[in-house]
Amino acid sequence: MIRVVIADDESPARDKLQRWLRELSDIEVVAHAEDGLQAAGFIDEQRPDVVFLDIQMPGLSGLEVAAQLEQEAAPLIVFVTAYDEHAVKAFDLNAVDYLLKPYDKDRFLKAVARVRERLGDRQSRAPAVVTARAQTGSSERLLVPAGEQLQLIESSSIDWLEADDNYVHVHTPSRKYLLRRTLQDLLLQLGEQRFARIHKSAAVNVAAIASLTPLFKGDYEISLRNGVVLRLSRRYKDALFARMGR
Amino acid sequence: MAVVSPSAPVAEGRLLAVTSPGRLLLWLWGAFCLVLILVAVQDQMHNPYIAWWEPLLWEGSSCVGATAWLLWQRRHKHRFAPYLDQPLRWFGRHLVWSPLLIVTFIGFVYGVRHAVYALLGGAYTHESWPFVIVYESLKLLLFSGLWLGIIFGLDSFEQWQAQRRHLLELQKSLAEAQLSQLKAQLRPHFFFNALNTISALMHVDVERADRMLARLGDLLRISLQINDREMTALREEMRTLELFTQIMQERFADRVALSWNIGPDVLDTQVPMLLLQPLLENAFKHGVERSVGSVDIGIAARREGSRIVLEIRNTGSALPAEHREGVGLRNCRERMNVIYGHDATLQLTGDGDSVVVTVTLPERQA
Repeated sequence: MIRVVIADDESPARDKLQRWLRELSDIEVVAHAEDGLQAAGFIDEQRPDVVFLDIQMPGLSGLEVAAQLEQEAAPLIVFVTAYDEHAVKAFDLNAVDYLLKPYDKDRFLKAVARVRERLGDRQSRAPAVVTARAQTGSSERLLVPAGEQLQLIESSSIDWLEADDNYVHVHTPSRKYLLRRTLQDLLLQLGEQRFARIHKSAAVNVAAIASLTPLFKGDYEISLRNGVVLRLSRRYKDALFARMGR
Repeated sequence: MAVVSPSAPVAEGRLLAVTSPGRLLLWLWGAFCLVLILVAVQDQMHNPYIAWWEPLLWEGSSCVGATAWLLWQRRHKHRFAPYLDQPLRWFGRHLVWSPLLIVTFIGFVYGVRHAVYALLGGAYTHESWPFVIVYESLKLLLFSGLWLGIIFGLDSFEQWQAQRRHLLELQKSLAEAQLSQLKAQLRPHFFFNALNTISALMHVDVERADRMLARLGDLLRISLQINDREMTALREEMRTLELFTQIMQERFADRVALSWNIGPDVLDTQVPMLLLQPLLENAFKHGVERSVGSVDIGIAARREGSRIVLEIRNTGSALPAEHREGVGLRNCRERMNVIYGHDATLQLTGDGDSVVVTVTLPERQA
């Protein structure tokens, strides 16, 4: 079974997709979202194979949802949109498909056929997410789980990131968030501008560094603005110093 | 500066054609010549030694010579026209011709007089040639200076008139071009979404889909009409907004609550067609489409003295401190500017989580 999430803020548009998807025996609609945040939540929770993603949605646009996905673990994306085809055409058709509203059943079935084909191959899903990130300036905002819900935080408010197996702890002055993503992927999204790796399993917001103290063997101790002390390993020292202009 | 072509189209009627500066000059010149001849004839009337035709010949020949030069000036006035705004250069350009004027004038006039006297078997007697040349030169310079002054005045007036007409035409066509540019267009986004809603409704409720299709058709018709019409009654404009909201309500169902508050005494006022539509569309775009919860939209119209106040208010979108106006709002503002000058205002204000756009127009009846 192909597991599908539908995301559109207009109920007639959702109903139309749902009706046609239900007619197909190999497809199961596992959730339908009414806005961008809900869509991101369902994708995180349900881990669907495919998501039909409307672009114009309140809270978080379809493109922004795609930009916040983990590159390698992302579902296939079919964008659905009324008029933003210029935004959608930037995507490689091998990575995603798109439906322009209004679309007929033939066009819809063609998109589903493409999805079936793509699910069979082993190609990376990363290009779709990378393109969405490039289009939305996703380095500025990060989607994090806060209790039952997801919320967006400003990446400038993050002090440091701590890897923990396949999870990352996101430390901000007010609280800590746990994300099911790799540190590697998170740094790709947030960009090299703001964050620097300090050892294998941690990265800091360069702007949050208060002071550096040398230790033995070329290692350093980093004090952050909130008083937290971290270790800077030799391996990442040069890159960080170069960044800080020392 | 543009050279005024003598063949510039005269838009005004015949009355103005008769009194156009060029014609007025010729009338004045004719009267001048007539007076000159009559005075000379009358002066010599009681002189027994002078025949009646003699003063006629003297002054007549002078008038013909001078008229030839005046006609030459009229024929070539466009050469001098570019200097009309620099009077000294304009007169200077004419002055260059004065040696030729003097030589041809004296040659012609005295030639004619001598010839006529000779033909009649007499002799034309006059002062010595050096005296004649100095005397006639001074007289010529004096009179041509006087007439050039008159010509300068009339030509300047004509040029000013033509320029003003040209400017008015330019302003008019510019305003028309601006207006057609600024006229509201329904966003294509709106049409495609509406079509998709109809395509979805069709499967569950044919009647409703049909109704929505008819409304979309009406709206499309109205938005095409704007090419032929600038103003419409507020009643019509409200009907357009109603069509638009009905379609939006199909799409967003319980996410929007509408309230109308239209004073019955303003319904006949003329307003620019589709002026409010983009403002209402903004309320949906920034309010409803970006809010997860329900949004209130209020549409109000009322009279305040001799002015009409139109207001569209929506919840669900606080106005950011660093607010940049979008194309829709900017176009509305410029369009009002073209139609009303500084007599109309458009104001965008934030009020908590509400945004209010207020349009104030002078009242106009059809």
